[in-house]
Amino acid sequence: MKIAQIAGFLGSGKTTALMKIVDGLVKSGKKIAIVVNDVGDISVDAKFIEAHGLKAKEISGGCICCQIAGTFAETLAKIYETFNPDIVIVEPSGVAIPWGLKRAAEYSEAKSDVHIEHAPVITLVDGSRIEVLIKAVKRLVETQIREADICFVNKIDAATPEQIKMAEDAIRDFNATAEIKHMSALTGEGIDYAVDAIINRTSPRYDKAREEILLKKEYEGA
Amino acid sequence: MVAPMTPYQRAIASVMNEPVDELCSSPLALGLARRLMPQTVTYKEWATTPELAAQSFVRAYEVWKLPFTVCLVDLSVTASNFGAHVRMDKENTPFVDEHIIHTAEDYEKIAECPTEITEGRTGALLEMNRLLAPRIKDKSFHAAFLEGPLLTLTQAGGAEQVMMDMFVEPDAVHKALERTTKFCCEAVTWLGDNHAAQAMCWDYLWGNYSCLDDGQYGEFEGDKYAKATNEATRKAGLGCGVHNCADLPHLDTQINKFGSAFYSMAYYPLIPGSPTASETIDKGYADNCLLFGNIDPQMFIRNSKEEITNATKDLCQEVKTALCKRGLNSRYVISSGCEVPPDLETKLENVQAVMDATHQYGAF
Repeated sequence: MKIAQIAGFLGSGKTTALMKIVDGLVKSGKKIAIVVNDVGDISVDAKFIEAHGLKAKEISGGCICCQIAGTFAETLAKIYETFNPDIVIVEPSGVAIPWGLKRAAEYSEAKSDVHIEHAPVITLVDGSRIEVLIKAVKRLVETQIREADICFVNKIDAATPEQIKMAEDAIRDFNATAEIKHMSALTGEGIDYAVDAIINRTSPRYDKAREEILLKKEYEGA
Repeated sequence: MVAPMTPYQRAIASVMNEPVDELCSSPLALGLARRLMPQTVTYKEWATTPELAAQSFVRAYEVWKLPFTVCLVDLSVTASNFGAHVRMDKENTPFVDEHIIHTAEDYEKIAECPTEITEGRTGALLEMNRLLAPRIKDKSFHAAFLEGPLLTLTQAGGAEQVMMDMFVEPDAVHKALERTTKFCCEAVTWLGDNHAAQAMCWDYLWGNYSCLDDGQYGEFEGDKYAKATNEATRKAGLGCGVHNCADLPHLDTQINKFGSAFYSMAYYPLIPGSPTASETIDKGYADNCLLFGNIDPQMFIRNSKEEITNATKDLCQEVKTALCKRGLNSRYVISSGCEVPPDLETKLENVQAVMDATHQYGAF
């Protein structure tokens, strides 16, 4: 079962983009489930879920290393056992750490016979209000960009060329290796790229990456 | 060579940085303790019944001989008093599933909230500590655990919303923080007045460079609100400590500036800059503060007894070397960095394995 994180701060257009991406995945013949990691205002439209015959679950915030990890893992294990989707789209809270979610997702393997793999971590950056985000929640935006495999400058239909460049520069500053793409849920730009990446590409597992870095440290220490 | 010590003697000696027979070991096995009870206790029963939780902590001491008992239940206790809806599943950690802040005006709901500390989930938590205190007196060092002012607010209101509002509606956020701070101060005063703990462990989770910089953390917790809760803790006659399982904790503020007596922290190997045990000791953070860390909590579920034994062995060696290099005796507790997952799948024998491995490899 593949886990696809679509991260971004509150108001970055996650939910709208997520619905477009899910639409594309369903059209590609994939069986999809959605987990919303923070309930309330950003919950995915129930009618949309119903229309697409998707499975949706909600969990909420806490400390990902302990409190929320069990709930999230339990949710994934139950989704696997009852629905067995190809891909689980996770819309994390803007304060979640992508590595933490990967780790928690892998922890569902202890609760069922599911095997977890990860799609590239996608982070959406709202191009139309990049200045405010950098001023207000720079650290959180930086964290989400730092751990992304693909960063989409979102809402490019509403952003000026200067804002788009500022968003691209910020992404490059925080993560020199992330792919940078543009997205507009209004025009559909970038959606197909995201769908293709989720279906055909993978991102490292937490446990393997952790093992590698600990071994590297041990080797260097020795 | 120090003569064999009881867990409590070792705990007190470690707080004082005196020589010990072996390093303290005290994984944060809290909700997990319900599984040590002779009868079946669901998480929901455990989290809502003070007598059951108190009994389970006593049982945890009896089985594992934990030198420290840190009474964390979950992170939605204080938020529920302020009106956040908490979902309580039979076997999941309770969590807030309905935040109460959607506009700037909503902060008034918190600022004007008439809740009392002896009511609701906070009342139950305080009562649990009161019941527990005499039962583990002089056996296990007893620290109550409560969410700090900012965590109380973010749990009640939603972290993203609150963090954005720190920039766009700072006055409203401050007004709510005044109220959560008052609530936290009253709770710790109650614990002192009722001899219901020896120390308070505050969860100041947002002192994390992945979320807030020094200026933001100072303005919205460190400089004023945590200062007030820390002062209230000391005034109540309790030791003042901090738990922060963040990836990039504000150590200078939360250890040095706060003058914390103890500090529980995690380690994230994949996050650049996340501090290891030896780095933390090398930089002087254990000079005046007892550190707790940093075995990965998920090892208690996912790894074998042999693997967690090896991880404990490595940590003991790392810590002993760093303490020796720094000229310290005992200011590090082999712990779990965050709560040992309280799941039904968590391997109880892995807690014992950490205790046994510390006994073997943490001996001086």
